[in-house]
Amino acid sequence: MATEDIFGHMFEEFPDESEWDVVVIGGGPNGLMAAAYLAKAGLKVALAEARYEIGGGLATEEILYPCYSSNPHVIYHMMVDYMPVIRDFNLDGPALVWIKPNSQTGMVFEDGKSLLLTRMIEDTKDSISKFSFKDAVNFGKIMRTWRRIVDEIVAPATYVPPMSPLDLTICMQRTEIGQEMLELVEQSPLDIITDTFENDRVRALMLYASCMWGLDPRETGLGFFVPLLLTRGMNKCYCYGGSHKFASAMAREIVKAGGLILEHAPVSNIIIENGRVAGVELAEGRTLRSKVVMSTLDPHTTFLDLVGADNMSADLKEAIEGWKYDKWSYYTLHIASDEPPHYKCDDPWINETFMTVFGIESTDQLLAHWDNVVAGNISDNFGGHATCQSIFDPTLSDIPDKSISFFQMHAPYEIGGGWDKRGEELKEAILGKWQKAAPNMTRDNIITTTFETPVDIEIRFPNMRRGSIKHGDYRPIQMGCFRPNQECSSTATPIEGLYVCGVSTYPGGLVLGGSGYLGANKVAEDLGVTKWWKPTPEMEKYIKTYLE
Amino acid sequence: MSKDERYDVVIIGGGPNGMTTAAYLAKCGLHVCVLEERVECGGACETVEVIPGVRIYPHAMLMYAAPAPGFEQLELHKYGFRMTWNPIDMMKSLSAGNTTTRGVSPITEKDMMGFAKLGGVLGQPPFTKELMRAAFWCPPHPPEVEVTDENVPYMQVYKQHQPDVWSHELREWTMFDLMDEYLESEPFKVTMAFAAWASGAAGHWEGVAIPALLCVQLLILPNTGKMSIPRGGLHGYFHAIHRCAVAHGAVVRTTCPVDEIIIEDGRAVGVRLRETAASGGKKIWASKAVISAVDYQQTFFKMIGGQHLDPGFIQKVKDISLKNGTLYVSTFHTRKPLQWNSKFKAMTESETSVAGPFNIPSGGVYPSDSRELYYENVADCDARKSLPTLPPEKLMWFLTPSQAFNPTDCQGSHSKGHISAAFEVNVPVPEYQVEGPEAQNEKKDELDAYMRKAFSEALDGLEDENIIHHWSATGREVEFRNTGLIGGTWCGSRHCSDQLWTQRPIPELARYRSPIDGLYTCHQTTGHPGALCLMAIPYNLMHILIEDGIAEPGNWWYPSPYYIPQEGKVSAIPR
Ligand SMILES: Cc1cc2nc3c(=O)[nH]c(=O)nc-3n(C[C@H](O)[C@H](O)[C@H](O)COP(=O)(O)OP(=O)(O)OC[C@H]3O[C@@H](n4cnc5c(N)ncnc54)[C@H](O)[C@@H]3O)c2cc1C
Ligand SMILES: Cc1cc2nc3c(=O)[nH]c(=O)nc-3n(C[C@H](O)[C@H](O)[C@H](O)COP(=O)(O)OP(=O)(O)OC[C@H]3O[C@@H](n4cnc5c(N)ncnc54)[C@H](O)[C@@H]3O)c2cc1C
Repeated sequence: MATEDIFGHMFEEFPDESEWDVVVIGGGPNGLMAAAYLAKAGLKVALAEARYEIGGGLATEEILYPCYSSNPHVIYHMMVDYMPVIRDFNLDGPALVWIKPNSQTGMVFEDGKSLLLTRMIEDTKDSISKFSFKDAVNFGKIMRTWRRIVDEIVAPATYVPPMSPLDLTICMQRTEIGQEMLELVEQSPLDIITDTFENDRVRALMLYASCMWGLDPRETGLGFFVPLLLTRGMNKCYCYGGSHKFASAMAREIVKAGGLILEHAPVSNIIIENGRVAGVELAEGRTLRSKVVMSTLDPHTTFLDLVGADNMSADLKEAIEGWKYDKWSYYTLHIASDEPPHYKCDDPWINETFMTVFGIESTDQLLAHWDNVVAGNISDNFGGHATCQSIFDPTLSDIPDKSISFFQMHAPYEIGGGWDKRGEELKEAILGKWQKAAPNMTRDNIITTTFETPVDIEIRFPNMRRGSIKHGDYRPIQMGCFRPNQECSSTATPIEGLYVCGVSTYPGGLVLGGSGYLGANKVAEDLGVTKWWKPTPEMEKYIKTYLE
Repeated sequence: MSKDERYDVVIIGGGPNGMTTAAYLAKCGLHVCVLEERVECGGACETVEVIPGVRIYPHAMLMYAAPAPGFEQLELHKYGFRMTWNPIDMMKSLSAGNTTTRGVSPITEKDMMGFAKLGGVLGQPPFTKELMRAAFWCPPHPPEVEVTDENVPYMQVYKQHQPDVWSHELREWTMFDLMDEYLESEPFKVTMAFAAWASGAAGHWEGVAIPALLCVQLLILPNTGKMSIPRGGLHGYFHAIHRCAVAHGAVVRTTCPVDEIIIEDGRAVGVRLRETAASGGKKIWASKAVISAVDYQQTFFKMIGGQHLDPGFIQKVKDISLKNGTLYVSTFHTRKPLQWNSKFKAMTESETSVAGPFNIPSGGVYPSDSRELYYENVADCDARKSLPTLPPEKLMWFLTPSQAFNPTDCQGSHSKGHISAAFEVNVPVPEYQVEGPEAQNEKKDELDAYMRKAFSEALDGLEDENIIHHWSATGREVEFRNTGLIGGTWCGSRHCSDQLWTQRPIPELARYRSPIDGLYTCHQTTGHPGALCLMAIPYNLMHILIEDGIAEPGNWWYPSPYYIPQEGKVSAIPR
């Protein structure tokens, strides 16, 4: 007798085969965004996520088990002020609360001096003037232009499809501010900062803030990112309750609109029939059939592993194989402690700062450290940034009044000595350095720790190959209409029905809210679905000024 | 800060019971809001990736819910509910035997037949599903109805389908008494009694023989004989419930702890959030009902307060016993996999072994020699209420079935080591602990070492050199990390006959109503059938909400066939 006959039929499961209009691969910020827009547009959308929880980089997890949660990945939300998804779904207020502290990025030096980058410009100028009156004045001046470059061009352009460099140059000529932006393109971040500031410590802070996400300090071609990363670095937000709340809010929009989310559903194959996409196969054996598949994974996984090299032109295959992953990854040490760090320095505001850099004494040292990392080493000259999250968010700790912090630094994927050994050593070195900067960070104060190496990042997210948090390096030939390559940067690909809209597609990495939004726009246009959303006012203004 | 909001129903707590209720009520067309304290809903249905690539289930891991009407009524398959089927047939693998200090003790034909008979498997036709549903998925009878041998739902089922099992004693016996009648080997009985303690009612409690036995059977029989788990663990199953609620329009707010239930003229009209809530300490109003899906201590002592309750009621609530097994759970990450030691060769060598495809010891109670040993463990934990006094070789522990049978599922293999199943040991409720509530935390390192020693009596691989991580949570930590788990127990209030069915947790609360109009309770600590992620309390509560005119379900609804409507109320049986 079949077991079912003995015990009776108990319950039904999700079917082995199902039909959808759109299948989205990956439940990170971009996948969630793409699925939410399209589900609300009336399409039948399914999203398949490999992990047990959606969110991708938007994670808040109890990694200091038991009782202490942290944000292991995204914590600094830089584009909250511009992201269309937040406005279109009205996520502010009811579902999400953003905290934007005035004290944004601090830098403390061994001699007890400190520098502070704040949301309000005068506080930054005050802090800089401790070192150089001239730099303070220059900072004020340059920010007038840079803020306009960001507000009027770079930020809104994040949500508009990419243009070729030539077209871009022509468009930017239209305004004075556009021309100023073009001038920056041809300079390296280091040149821009050295030309603007005279004091070395001021330069070090500015360089850290502009290049910490992976801009090459010495390379030309991407200089317009300096204003973006600096101004956004002065406007970072913390998502109260943890970054995962942002992911959950988008997930609920998908489900509310009738979409399906499957967790624990790694996609093992993108089905190609008659040269076009026909759906995906999950590792568990189920099939989700659809004419449109949107992948938010890295190019290698999407094209070579899931589609298969046989199903594409030699040119496309070559472009994919030439993709370069991030030049560095991150090492993060998370700590639960009795007290938050109290830094030994001349400015008490540093203790309430969102991000505190220590270990960096000069631009030379910073550059030497970064060069070291790119070469696969970390020596004693390292520095990085720390955040005490519980200052802004007491809910992360289940035990009242405890502190939860982390220290994060750039780190190579492959390190001399191997991560198994170096992971522990680095932890000890960081604790030593931290205690020097903040004397109360003693062993007694620390309740528990855990760390994540670049290899660990890849274990959590196989699509962050080599620990690439942006799924691919920021270099001129991998940006703009070249991200991930000219054939795919509009999110549509040469394979009919396949779209790519993770951070390896224009505009690129971090939680910008760009790729997924652009992917949804493109799919809606290609399928002839009415868009229920409109461009934001900033985008409209940008389009009108530069594109029409 | 956003303005005050108003809903039909406000549900406090986004654990399995709160969320299932939200799904049911949203499906009825009500405007529902769920308020959850933590960043992620799920209550004790959680998965935690403690280190990259290693996931553990701190609490619930096994699927007991198979017969639940909720699967059909809420259509969970549409929201992605999937299982990962264990290839090992538990009924067969049970025959590998039980683990005692002397080695493997075989399970006999009589044991198996007795177990099957009591579970309805030998009926013509088998009546497992009816029996399980009768025991768990039916609201307690109304207070005006006298509870008799004839009208207790599970008694009705036995009477109809297996009359020779039906007897007056069935409702008086302990589970041991019942097993003495139907089973044979002592280690099998002890194993079942101990497993029951960690699944429902303990083997030695009066008058709960059938609920206790059925809890254990829920794990095996309805899952078509396999100790299988939902894909993604119980959090995966929870996701389907959560998504069903949201798809029907329920509003879910995380990081929104509730501090107060607002009472006007004796009626619950809303709640006030804690100041640290994501939306600040604002008020959220409920036009039709407030449902507390958190523990009774917070509900009555913190959120309501004495001015609205009479001293008789308060005393009864204070006296609710939490002694239902505070579980100290350990999970190991090891270089080599753990192995049954040489005494238990039979466990790993037999084809149907409990070791599973990755050869990870899976499922068992040790040492299951005798009920004397069982009683010594009970006395240590619930009578002395102290830190363990038994030598480690006498400590009884429960090893959950391994989840590693499917390498693509949550706890599949890990390149850098092996993840064990969960080891569960009963420890005293922290607030009853004679050395004080912090004693377990203060002695955590010693307790960890003591338990490793105890587990090493039966398993190889727990030497320091082989262990990469030992994750554990004391009863005290459990209370802190999930505020609903008072007493650190897996079910809150004890499932003893004085606190079950029409008495759960006290008669005044048994039908999910409370002394405050408009306030209902819906938490494992406050209502029949109590613990486990069964979708049972919400289903049972639905009958009551229909009686009170709050819920009006569509034709997808069907009540329990054993349900008795309360006099003067709308019946939950559709006309
Ligand atoms: C340590 C760290 C710190 C960071 N800090 C910040 C920060 O402060 N601010 C910021 O803006 N950004 C930060 N980032 C970067 C940010 O996390 C990423 O750029 C962003 O999450 C990328 O979004 P995405 O949706 O494109 O892809 P991802 O977030 O990578 O999401 C992809 C999803 O796909 C899933 N997946 C993988 N393989 C499969 C498969 N085969 N089938 C189905 N699903 C699959 C993954 O599990 C993942 O959930 C950080 C990243 C890291 C690692
Ligand atoms: C160690 C252990 C093992 C277990 N094993 C299993 C198993 O294998 N299978 C099984 O089915 N069951 C198992 N259980 C039992 C099962 O997990 C519980 O019975 C079930 O989770 C109870 O659900 P609930 O919704 O009543 O309460 P809870 O799960 O406790 O949920 C209550 C929710 O309310 C929230 N909350 C608390 N206070 C507030 C407040 N003031 N405001 C807002 N929200 C609040 C909590 O954060 C939580 O999310 C186990 C439990 C434990 C502890």
